[in-house]
Amino acid sequence: MDAASYVLSVAPAFMAYYLTSLGQGFFEKSGVLNLSIDGVFVLGIAVAYAASIYSCSPWVGLAAAVLTAVIFGILLTYVTTKFPVSHGAVGLSIMFLGYGLAGLVGVAARNTYNEMVVSGIYPQFTLPVTPIAKVLMFAIPAGLGILLYLLEVRTKLGAAVRAVGEDPHAATSLGIDVLRVRLIAAALGYSLIGAGSAGFLTWVATWSEGTGINHGWIAYAVSLAAGRHPLLTVGTAGAFAILATYMYTLQAAYNLSPEIAKMIPFIVAIGAMVTFMSTPLRKKLAPPQSLGKRFFKEERTV
Amino acid sequence: MTLLKTYNKDFSSKNKPPVVSVIGISKKFPGSIALDSVDFTILEGEIHALLGENGAGKSTLVKILYGIYVPDRGEIYIRGRKARINSPKEAIRQGIVMVSQVPQLIDKLTVAENLILGLEKYGFITRVGKVRYFIREKSREVGIEVDPDTEVWKLSYTQKQLVELLRALLLNAKVLLLDEAITFLPLIEKKKFYKFIRDFASKGGSVLLITHKIYEALEVADRITVLRLGRVVGTVPRSKVSPDDVRKMMFAERSSQVTYERLPISTPRESAALEISDLWVMGDHGDHAVRGVSLTLRAGEVMGIAGIAGNGQKELIQAIVGLRRVEKGRIRLYSEDITNRSVSKVRIRGVGYIPDQPAKYGLSLENSIEENLAMLPSLTNRLINWGSIRDLARKLIKEFNIMTPSPKTPVKFLSGGNIMKVLVSRELLVARRLLVAYNPTRALDEVTAIMVRKFIKEKASTEGIGVLVASEDLDEILQISDRIAVMNSGRVVGVFSSSEVVRDEIEKLMVM
Repeated sequence: MDAASYVLSVAPAFMAYYLTSLGQGFFEKSGVLNLSIDGVFVLGIAVAYAASIYSCSPWVGLAAAVLTAVIFGILLTYVTTKFPVSHGAVGLSIMFLGYGLAGLVGVAARNTYNEMVVSGIYPQFTLPVTPIAKVLMFAIPAGLGILLYLLEVRTKLGAAVRAVGEDPHAATSLGIDVLRVRLIAAALGYSLIGAGSAGFLTWVATWSEGTGINHGWIAYAVSLAAGRHPLLTVGTAGAFAILATYMYTLQAAYNLSPEIAKMIPFIVAIGAMVTFMSTPLRKKLAPPQSLGKRFFKEERTV
Repeated sequence: MTLLKTYNKDFSSKNKPPVVSVIGISKKFPGSIALDSVDFTILEGEIHALLGENGAGKSTLVKILYGIYVPDRGEIYIRGRKARINSPKEAIRQGIVMVSQVPQLIDKLTVAENLILGLEKYGFITRVGKVRYFIREKSREVGIEVDPDTEVWKLSYTQKQLVELLRALLLNAKVLLLDEAITFLPLIEKKKFYKFIRDFASKGGSVLLITHKIYEALEVADRITVLRLGRVVGTVPRSKVSPDDVRKMMFAERSSQVTYERLPISTPRESAALEISDLWVMGDHGDHAVRGVSLTLRAGEVMGIAGIAGNGQKELIQAIVGLRRVEKGRIRLYSEDITNRSVSKVRIRGVGYIPDQPAKYGLSLENSIEENLAMLPSLTNRLINWGSIRDLARKLIKEFNIMTPSPKTPVKFLSGGNIMKVLVSRELLVARRLLVAYNPTRALDEVTAIMVRKFIKEKASTEGIGVLVASEDLDEILQISDRIAVMNSGRVVGVFSSSEVVRDEIEKLMVM
């Protein structure tokens, strides 16, 4: 394999991690703590798989994953902003709901897939993986990252998302509808998470129950280790994509036990977050001040 | 009542049309009635002051007009048409804009980003840069110098309030609600604000000025409405009332407790409660805020620190209690070196601390009065005796007339003034050897402020504790202090004993 092939092999994993962490970071900037990510990610993979099989088109799978993720993102946002409930509790509930639904949707689709294979039909459930497609798997997410960055720092919407994440009471006072802005952030953020999950399916190119579990958390770590900054996330997503793609090569090269090998991404995730916290970026890219805090419109304040 | 009828007759003769009218507005909070059938009108082109003691319902009424609270009962009319204001966004559409005591700006965002948020004519995808020119033009027009690209956290308190006023103008406000927005400003800046709101009213705008400072209301308002315990006591024209009349409306029989006479001088003991020598402390912006301050405070003595805000008083006080690092110099408490000790180590030695931002440095708003007492190591051991804490809370509630449904009510449900009372009463209790305070009565109404000053003075003279009070209110300093130190640019530029003090001289030193 030449150098270019080595680089291109990383593309699907990069696309999966980068899009998911990009969406996660943008959404959390609106002040909603997102612990549903892993469940929605796993569900997105299953939905992408099922929709691709039923429609015989991976593009329909991508669209279905995006739509599903957005629905769950809107649900999480609506419940946590409209009612004074714990972001953590709602997020974790949605996560488990996602795991359950993923099994339900995926297993049925897999049975259909098996029947189709017996009949001689091989529906493609992954996005194209030609060299050009792989180049685009780097280029399109990176382009989206730049667009999202410009949206965040240059536009009124970006200012509004950051405002409701910092201080929703003050944002309300400034004339912002907190729920509306958070719903927009959820729609944008979760569509990226959904697209990331479809990208993951392209990377692993197979589906079984539990596919993708914990990779949503890795994407969360990717986002945190870059301070939720869309451009810095390119670096952390790239590093994790390389690690994930060449994990088995590493395992073989150093004769690691499978258990140890499986733990490596999580050890690296902790290390990356600690490293980030020890740099000056920790202050510059501090998390939104109201992240995860309950929002009561009528709360008496001094 | 006769007096009020005369006044009502008087201003009915003015032909200014009403802009905002509220009829029968009531609002309850858990365990308390904040407003009870309030009727009230703001006329076009007038400055209308809304006065009342702490917890009278002033802020609640303003928040209803701005759509932050929804009233339980009652109606709001804007220019004679019934209106339903259920969000600040709706209030802004109706031309009503609020400026609060605590700036409602997002610190991490730039001035331009903050200001564009409320401007409906700009859609979500508008570039923030597009409003930069508009902001510069408008700020030049009204004489407010502000760089639209500055992040708000870099601005001073006064600058933030100016940005809030600029925001109101950009939003084309017709009615400006100033909820204690001027109270915390230094005197010189206050005068500028008075001019600003007079100009605003002269151009047909209406201003509702919420304050607990009678003199502030009398200085600028055309009419004054007084609220007490959630009810309107009356509305009077400024020209027809004296401070005493307004005071009687605010406090009824308790108004006789208001006095600005100097409190009796205490007798300092031999021992030094606090010795500060050549102290250097950094400010928030990387330069020295305190520059070589040396002071000695005797036990039983009250020392006032006079100065305009931002001259190092806050940093000095924070360094004493361990909230800010000392770069150079020593602080001794009864001869014990406490320089750069942690806050808990300083506090456990009997040091009380009253900051002027109770929410940030004084109390946990989510917790109750009882819990806010129990969390102080000087009041509890490892195991909390909730029975005695409850008795203590009840005692403080009674003594300081804290308006709260119960000692178990979370502090966030109290009014700003009552939150300050919780803090002051607790700190007076824990100050066994030293009390340091920064603007201890700024958020309190006159009766409570004077009561607190008397408590502090009595504590110093009877229990022999040292008291260091920094305040931007010179009347407070003159009333309470045995000695006065004036701070300017981080240095002590003069120390006077209360018997020889000349107000003019202090004022000169403050601004030189």
